[in-house]
Amino acid sequence: MENKLIGKLKSNKYLYFFTKLFLLFLIIFVLDFSIGKTLRHFYFTQESGWQYRTTYAMENTVADMIVFGSSRANHHYHPEVFEKRLPFEYYNAGRDGSYNLYHFAVLKSILKRHKPKMVILEFGKEEFKKSQVGYDRLSALLPYYKTHPEIREILDHKSEAEPLKLAVSQIYPFNSSIFTIAIGNAAINKTRRGDIKGYVPLDKTWNEPMKTIQSVPAYDVDTVSVWAYESFLKECKLASVPVYVVTSPYFERSALMDTSMQLGKNIAGKYDVPFFDFSQDEKLISHPNFFADHLHLNDKGARIFSDFVIDRILVEKMDYVTQKK
Amino acid sequence: MLFNSIEFVFFFIIVTSLFFILPHKYRWFLLLVSSCYFYMAFVPIYILILGFTIVIDYFAGIYLEKTQGPNRKLLLIMSLIANIGVLAVFKYYNFFNDNLTSLLYGAGYKNPIPYLSILLPIGLSFHTFQAMSYTIEVYRNHQKAEKNFGIYSLYVMFYPQLVAGPIERPQNLLHQFYEKHEFDYTRITEGLKLMLWGFFKKLVIADRLAIYVNSAYNYPEQQTGLTLIMATIFFAIQIYCDFSGYSDIAIGTARVMGFKLMTNFNRPYFSRNISEFWKRWHISLSTWFKDYLYISLGGNKVSIPRWYFNLFFVFLVSGFWHGANWTFIIWGAINGFYLVFALLTDKLSTRIVDITGLDRHKKLLSFFNIIITFLLACFAWIFFRANSVKDAILIIKKMATFKGPLHYENPSMLIFSFFGISVLFFYELKHEYYRNSFSLMNNPNWLVRNMTYAVMIILILLIGVFDGGQFIYFQF
Repeated sequence: MENKLIGKLKSNKYLYFFTKLFLLFLIIFVLDFSIGKTLRHFYFTQESGWQYRTTYAMENTVADMIVFGSSRANHHYHPEVFEKRLPFEYYNAGRDGSYNLYHFAVLKSILKRHKPKMVILEFGKEEFKKSQVGYDRLSALLPYYKTHPEIREILDHKSEAEPLKLAVSQIYPFNSSIFTIAIGNAAINKTRRGDIKGYVPLDKTWNEPMKTIQSVPAYDVDTVSVWAYESFLKECKLASVPVYVVTSPYFERSALMDTSMQLGKNIAGKYDVPFFDFSQDEKLISHPNFFADHLHLNDKGARIFSDFVIDRILVEKMDYVTQKK
Repeated sequence: MLFNSIEFVFFFIIVTSLFFILPHKYRWFLLLVSSCYFYMAFVPIYILILGFTIVIDYFAGIYLEKTQGPNRKLLLIMSLIANIGVLAVFKYYNFFNDNLTSLLYGAGYKNPIPYLSILLPIGLSFHTFQAMSYTIEVYRNHQKAEKNFGIYSLYVMFYPQLVAGPIERPQNLLHQFYEKHEFDYTRITEGLKLMLWGFFKKLVIADRLAIYVNSAYNYPEQQTGLTLIMATIFFAIQIYCDFSGYSDIAIGTARVMGFKLMTNFNRPYFSRNISEFWKRWHISLSTWFKDYLYISLGGNKVSIPRWYFNLFFVFLVSGFWHGANWTFIIWGAINGFYLVFALLTDKLSTRIVDITGLDRHKKLLSFFNIIITFLLACFAWIFFRANSVKDAILIIKKMATFKGPLHYENPSMLIFSFFGISVLFFYELKHEYYRNSFSLMNNPNWLVRNMTYAVMIILILLIGVFDGGQFIYFQF
């Protein structure tokens, strides 16, 4: 009977080919579905690690003040200093290697369910430089595409095919994440790389000489990145959440202002958002022992820098109150 | 259009389906139109450059066939100048101008010649060489001139191999456009399997390794010696998987439709000397240079010094073919030097093998030679990958210190990398030495076979890199 069926199939080459192809796709579908669902389950049961921190920021945090930005946000704003000097509960939603589109997406998810009392957005040099990396890094938000409709518009900037890929495969949102998910579910990660309310301290000390920047590199500005930054500020304003844009120090000397910094400052001005530039603050950059590398402060530097930021915020608030009076 | 894009998946399904639906006489037209679309998906305007070389070589072929006497050679030279001229303008103009600027600056002058602000058309060197092989073959009377302009255009533009080869010869490809290709189950599945393996090599291995390689090679001053050693070995595997992966997808795509393209890679890292390596690496280009340049220079049928010169010169040109940068020229020179050095020391190395008694341990000798050849290739790859000669020298200096620690961003990156390399190693080992042993992809059991395909696709989804971008060889 079985042989007869195969014989009949084989006699029609098209039918034979497409039947086999269908069976192959069936196997792939079953494997993709079951592995994808398992990964999704364990993705959201993580208790530590950067994926967990993203989930916590988007779905759980009710902190009064939230820090956004890339690695420089994540490693530069010390929770103990902020919580000691301000009457706010703190959370750091900064993530290594993330860009404006990512920050805006996380902000949208948070504002949908919670209104913080203060938001700090770390803003760096070349923030608006045209590059594929910022879009590629949006992969970090793919696991939330189905459950967070508010971020879809932003994630679609990654590529036009993204909705299709996500509809076709259950595994795709968790691409390259299998070990991170496993580690995030294991207790080992808590001891290996602890964070304090999202903030991850850096312990190294930088030993290289300071760079002097002679010229500002010219580059194409990414209008989508500018849109995301502007939308971030607009969204905060609409929700009446006070927002501060801050540039933390770099271990380099430069008399010239980067194109993105200039543009970022202008846009902040347009929305009446304070823009604090510490990138060349001598009180910080003249101390190599505050730095972990030329882009990042270490834990010691982060504590001192956080104090500086709070001083500026308090001055700003005072000015505001005085002006109002 | 990139092979590793979702657009290509749709493009492939649509074109292949239409190919089998349409009557034979219309298929060449379908392939020509789809090849134009495929190419124009990169930078549409550059199709005009391709059109220019096609028109020149089409008429050159026809007139070459009709013409006798010294004018024949003149016609060939004119056609070659037109082709090389396109390459010279789009690929090498700024390089020469840059070097002229440096020379004049050294002498205290300013270079008055302006730079060209143009993008290099994708795969220019590939289709130019394929077009040149046609006119040379017609000139040598090895190939009849193609009268059908559409078919000739398709020979240059056939989309599977348009942007990165294999660089075909007219004798192998042209006649296939006239042959009727039936829907053949075995051939189609063979092609699809080859495509799947190509995608696996590109997405799971090459693009994963590229993350490590790029971070090390783009900032060599911040890296330790050990990290750069690892990055160099990774690059050797990356470029192999990237380019042979592309070739496998190209050959597989063509095979599905019944076209047989030439083999481009034959497990080159199992070579026991550099000469063998070049018989197994980028075969379509190596044989192109052998057939049209090395033999034209006299090959080995000349005095010994001239023979050595011929070898060295061909590799120097091959380096330059890869890119308008001194790093590629040095890479070619190093390979040329390897070959000449191997010839010069041939007797000495045979004697060393005799004295050490290694000739009695063939497997050990083979293993030793494979490792040495791989390391020599890796050393040359440093120049190929480095962003500048200065960087390459810094990398070599740092590597010589052998200092650690080994840099890696996260452990999963290394785990994924070594997993991919292991799969590649066992696959290649099996095909090199145990061809008739147990096979997963060609297993007689339907379920084992299909589970293998399914697992490969799942692995691509699970650990493949989807943001890896284009293939390295597109830039050539």
